[in-house]
Amino acid sequence: MKNQKIKISTKNLNVFYGAKQALFDVNLELEEKKVTALIGPSGCGKSTYIRCLNRMNDVIDICKVEGSIKIDGQEINKKDVDVNLLREKVGMVFQKPNPFPKSIYDNIAYGPRIHGLADNKNDLDQIVESSLKKAALWDEVKDRLNQPGTGLSGGQQQRLCIARTISINPEVILMDEPCSALDPIATAKIEELIDELKKTYTIVIVTHSMSQAARVSQNTGFFHLGKILEFNLTEKIFKNPDNKLTQDYITGRFG
Amino acid sequence: MKKKLGINSSSTDKEIKQANFDEVLQEALLSLAPNAPELKQAELIDLVSIDATIELKKFYLKNKDVLNKTAEVALTLSDDIDQVHKGNFPRDIPEDRRRFSDFQLKIYDEQIAKKKIISEFNWPFIFNADSREPEIAGVGASLMGSFFTLIVCLLLSFPLGILAAIYLEEFAPKNKITEIIEVNVNNLAAVPSIVFGLLGLGVFLNYFYLPRSTPLVGGIVLALMTLPRIIIPCRAALKAVPPSIREGALALGASKVQTVMHNVVPLAMPGTLSGTIIGLSQALGETAPLLLIGMVAFINVVPSTPLDPSAVLPVQVYLWSESAERGFVEKTSATIIILIFFLAIMNSFAIYLRNKFEKKWS
Amino acid sequence: MSEHIVSSYEGQLKTLHSTVLKMGALCESQFSNSIIALLKKDEELIDKIIGKDERIDELEKKIDDQVVNLITLRQPMAIDLRETVSAMRIAAELERIGDLAKNIVKRVKYIKVDLNNADFSLIKTASELVQNNLKKTLDSYSKKDEQLALSVWNSDKEIDVIINKLLEDFLNNMKKEKKNIESLTHLLFVAKNIERIGDHSTNICEYVYFLIKGEEIKGNRPKG
Repeated sequence: MKNQKIKISTKNLNVFYGAKQALFDVNLELEEKKVTALIGPSGCGKSTYIRCLNRMNDVIDICKVEGSIKIDGQEINKKDVDVNLLREKVGMVFQKPNPFPKSIYDNIAYGPRIHGLADNKNDLDQIVESSLKKAALWDEVKDRLNQPGTGLSGGQQQRLCIARTISINPEVILMDEPCSALDPIATAKIEELIDELKKTYTIVIVTHSMSQAARVSQNTGFFHLGKILEFNLTEKIFKNPDNKLTQDYITGRFG
Repeated sequence: MKKKLGINSSSTDKEIKQANFDEVLQEALLSLAPNAPELKQAELIDLVSIDATIELKKFYLKNKDVLNKTAEVALTLSDDIDQVHKGNFPRDIPEDRRRFSDFQLKIYDEQIAKKKIISEFNWPFIFNADSREPEIAGVGASLMGSFFTLIVCLLLSFPLGILAAIYLEEFAPKNKITEIIEVNVNNLAAVPSIVFGLLGLGVFLNYFYLPRSTPLVGGIVLALMTLPRIIIPCRAALKAVPPSIREGALALGASKVQTVMHNVVPLAMPGTLSGTIIGLSQALGETAPLLLIGMVAFINVVPSTPLDPSAVLPVQVYLWSESAERGFVEKTSATIIILIFFLAIMNSFAIYLRNKFEKKWS
Repeated sequence: MSEHIVSSYEGQLKTLHSTVLKMGALCESQFSNSIIALLKKDEELIDKIIGKDERIDELEKKIDDQVVNLITLRQPMAIDLRETVSAMRIAAELERIGDLAKNIVKRVKYIKVDLNNADFSLIKTASELVQNNLKKTLDSYSKKDEQLALSVWNSDKEIDVIINKLLEDFLNNMKKEKKNIESLTHLLFVAKNIERIGDHSTNICEYVYFLIKGEEIKGNRPKG
């Protein structure tokens, strides 16, 4: 694992919500173009962790993030970083699909428009098409790009959100329980998509489903009470974890 | 029309307007009772409205081919006979207690028998300005006055209200100052409207010397009143937009401003427009503050800009309801109907807009 | 180790474990009885042993069903997965042990020599060793003692040494006394069966070690 290129590394990451500390000295190195799953009981800090990676925690007033967060070796947890550019590089897909109340086309086109990625309508059309194709949604919506994004089914909406994230050419995609609100077929489609996407993007996925983490990821980290207790190859974690708490969690001996 | 008017078929409109139609009118009227004594002749003239000459002129301007010919022209009755025709003035009381003489009554009855007296829809009511004579008084001035006042109110309060709501809800830091502003906005909505009138009088008229009795000042005063009524529902609508929309936009790298303006505000539009509709409807019906800034004058010219003195529909209702003449009673009611009609049109348009937004954004 | 939050899951794992132990105990007794029947040429015992083998097959099928059920319904992870998979593997080995014990007693009627003779003491030694190993193997599974399993795994070579000696003895005997060829040939098979029971025990030890440690025993199995 050490021979792989590291895309994201956090060192001594401590996060506070007011007086309450949510993350304690988290040191993690996430490999490029791999899927890393973060598992752990509710409230253990997984979502807080990934929200640090694209500075989404800035939105919460009382949240304080201390420590080093490096992407491609560049420190992003400091004041003079352009957060909007960072978020162009590190995209996020949320638990509940949240398409904008616009047409499918405009949903995808919004990101490229505000970042100035298309010179003309043709370019924009191409970006929309390729994003939808990469998200395995093109065939289903190509004839109704002008219809509202909110008219799609849950699974399609989530793929739309993924397409929207891809449209601005990120390098990292963060996924916060992307399949929690979806049925098994939609979930399977997203997992297939993740398999494809990892060839191009580094993916970090927070999930409550042990089996999903086992299915889609190459590396897995186990969070417990704000600390990372174990981080290893997925195969190792699920066949024979080193830490007893990890084993207890994944086998359902405590939650 | 046997007398010469001094015009011919090639006279310009200006020359025609300057020609003296009074004699033509008198001649026509006197022909109704050819043998009437001189004293009674004045009563004949009084049968028709003061505007009758102008009506005659207007008729000729439209029908120049009747020169040197005989034609039938419709003229407005004077208000007293009008009330007789409507049955509001009793005919069976002694003559000296009536506003019309027996002679006038006789001519009236004769003309009724000849079917020369007809009732038709009162279009001039809508287009004419106010007048001392009830039969030709119209709501034209107040209609335009209300229209201009509302436009000014809308142009001032809508953008300011929305921007204020956006700032307070999305951008203002959560500190004491913001809290104070919020409390004040909420209280402002409960302030009696006449206080805004006093404000208008004291500040806009007496300090800034803005022209009194104009829709400009009226609009500004109403805008101040409507502002909180737009801010409060707009804020509520903004608050109701789910945070997931904001997060989605932010995660794409949109700035705070882009997130709010492109994604949140459109979703809050239906709610905002509802509040605006209510606010503007209330503004339309406001009387007290406008009285204080002078929009209670007698306006006999239809205003053509917001800087011309004018009245508004509710004030017109008030003025006419205070008038002594009997002829203004129906006009007061008619004005109220027009006011409500105006409101209905405004509301329908705003509801149409709101539905369009709702469909588009969801 | 703490218990599963879902007690029925815990129950299923415990049932699987005890079924394997039951099958193990049965195989153990089949084997030790087969040696007794061999040495005493007890026909009644022989019939009993052959009859009981069916029960062993039933238990293996039962364990297979339980395993498939667990995988389907519980999607076991980590130690639970290893438990489930090991149970299946161990049951297969135990079934072979049962069969081998049955095959031993089937040959008894063809063995005309007196096995209590000093010439055949090695049979007794070998069978005692293997019985001992089988017992320790099953203990290591029951108690989750990987060191015990490892010690049995290492001691398999001792059995090989004895069996090899046994084979040498038998061959020499056959060369000397031609009348014993038939008996000794069958005895050869019996000896081989005993050795193979030992091998299967050692296999079970490997599975027990993997179950507890999560990794394979390092190195090659010591051979005698």
